[in-house]
Amino acid sequence: MTDEKAGMVLEVIMEFANIGAGSAATALSSLMDVELMNEVTSCNILPMSKVSDWLGGADQIVAGTYTYLCGDLKSGILVVLPNKSAVTLLEHLTKEKADLAALTEIQKSALKEVGNICLCWYLIAVSKMIDIDMIPAPPDATVDMLGAVLDIPLASLAQKVDTVLAVHTCFKGIDEEFEGYFLMLPEESTLKLILERMAGPRG
Amino acid sequence: MSEQRTVGIGQMAVCHAPEQIVCLGLGSCVAIILYDPVARIGGVVHVLLPKSPIKCDNEEKYADTGTRKLVKEMINHGVKKERLVAKLVGGAQMFPNLNLAIANIGRENSMTIRNILRELMIRIVAEDLGGNRGRSAYFNTSDGHVTVKTAFEPVKVL
Repeated sequence: MTDEKAGMVLEVIMEFANIGAGSAATALSSLMDVELMNEVTSCNILPMSKVSDWLGGADQIVAGTYTYLCGDLKSGILVVLPNKSAVTLLEHLTKEKADLAALTEIQKSALKEVGNICLCWYLIAVSKMIDIDMIPAPPDATVDMLGAVLDIPLASLAQKVDTVLAVHTCFKGIDEEFEGYFLMLPEESTLKLILERMAGPRG
Repeated sequence: MSEQRTVGIGQMAVCHAPEQIVCLGLGSCVAIILYDPVARIGGVVHVLLPKSPIKCDNEEKYADTGTRKLVKEMINHGVKKERLVAKLVGGAQMFPNLNLAIANIGRENSMTIRNILRELMIRIVAEDLGGNRGRSAYFNTSDGHVTVKTAFEPVKVL
């Protein structure tokens, strides 16, 4: 891929992810009752070994909810909340103290459900935009080191490629300290499809 | 403080004492840690998938080719194969409720590595595999000890 083409691809994908993440952040913000702001999406083509470094280090503790799209579009999607934000979220939703080391069943389930809601809103927005049905597998959530959380998403791509396109959209609470991000790891064929649909028959 | 090398996914390192080799955030990945206590040379490969395809672009990514390549590389560094011992860390199932074939790739990784090491006649002296917790491994090439840290559990030394 030439540099110019790569730049174009990144721009289109970033636009795509912005719309998805915007919709997900709206859902999350009404659930949390805080105003959330989306930061600009960043997008990078990286070797597998560098993905967790790019996201801030493999050994930080995060809450991650992961699902995989298995329709025409094939992509891993993750919602990642840093340690502190996950606690804020759980305490807000369950009205009891949350300790990530010992989550109650209710809290685990809440975490998964929030991830599920975010991911679905993300998908609804982008699937409308490019007019393709997206079928997510039921998501699962875990609280662990970032590197470990990323293993399965990366492994599902690794059979075919060594470098991945990672699309990262950060959200932040305006007055409360709350942040997290969405991460999309599309397969190459999916990338092509998105580009085609985004370019559209307009031009 | 001795020097420290971090080995990411699909990477490999061979180091002499007293260097330390570190693998951070191992989930379903497995760190294969080989040590020659006489030469005091240690090697680590951080593999992601069990079996390599026929046409393989990056041998260190796969358990089968990665293990073989590490042994070969260590022999090039002057290690005697008969003296090598292995320690394995990782292979967890991070998303146990995920309904995908790949969800338990950690177990497949572990099984493949055990078979390859048996084939190469390298003894596994310690392992911390499976479960559903991520791990970080800190391998000290001075004494061959591997310190395993998990997110919410006490530190283990292998």
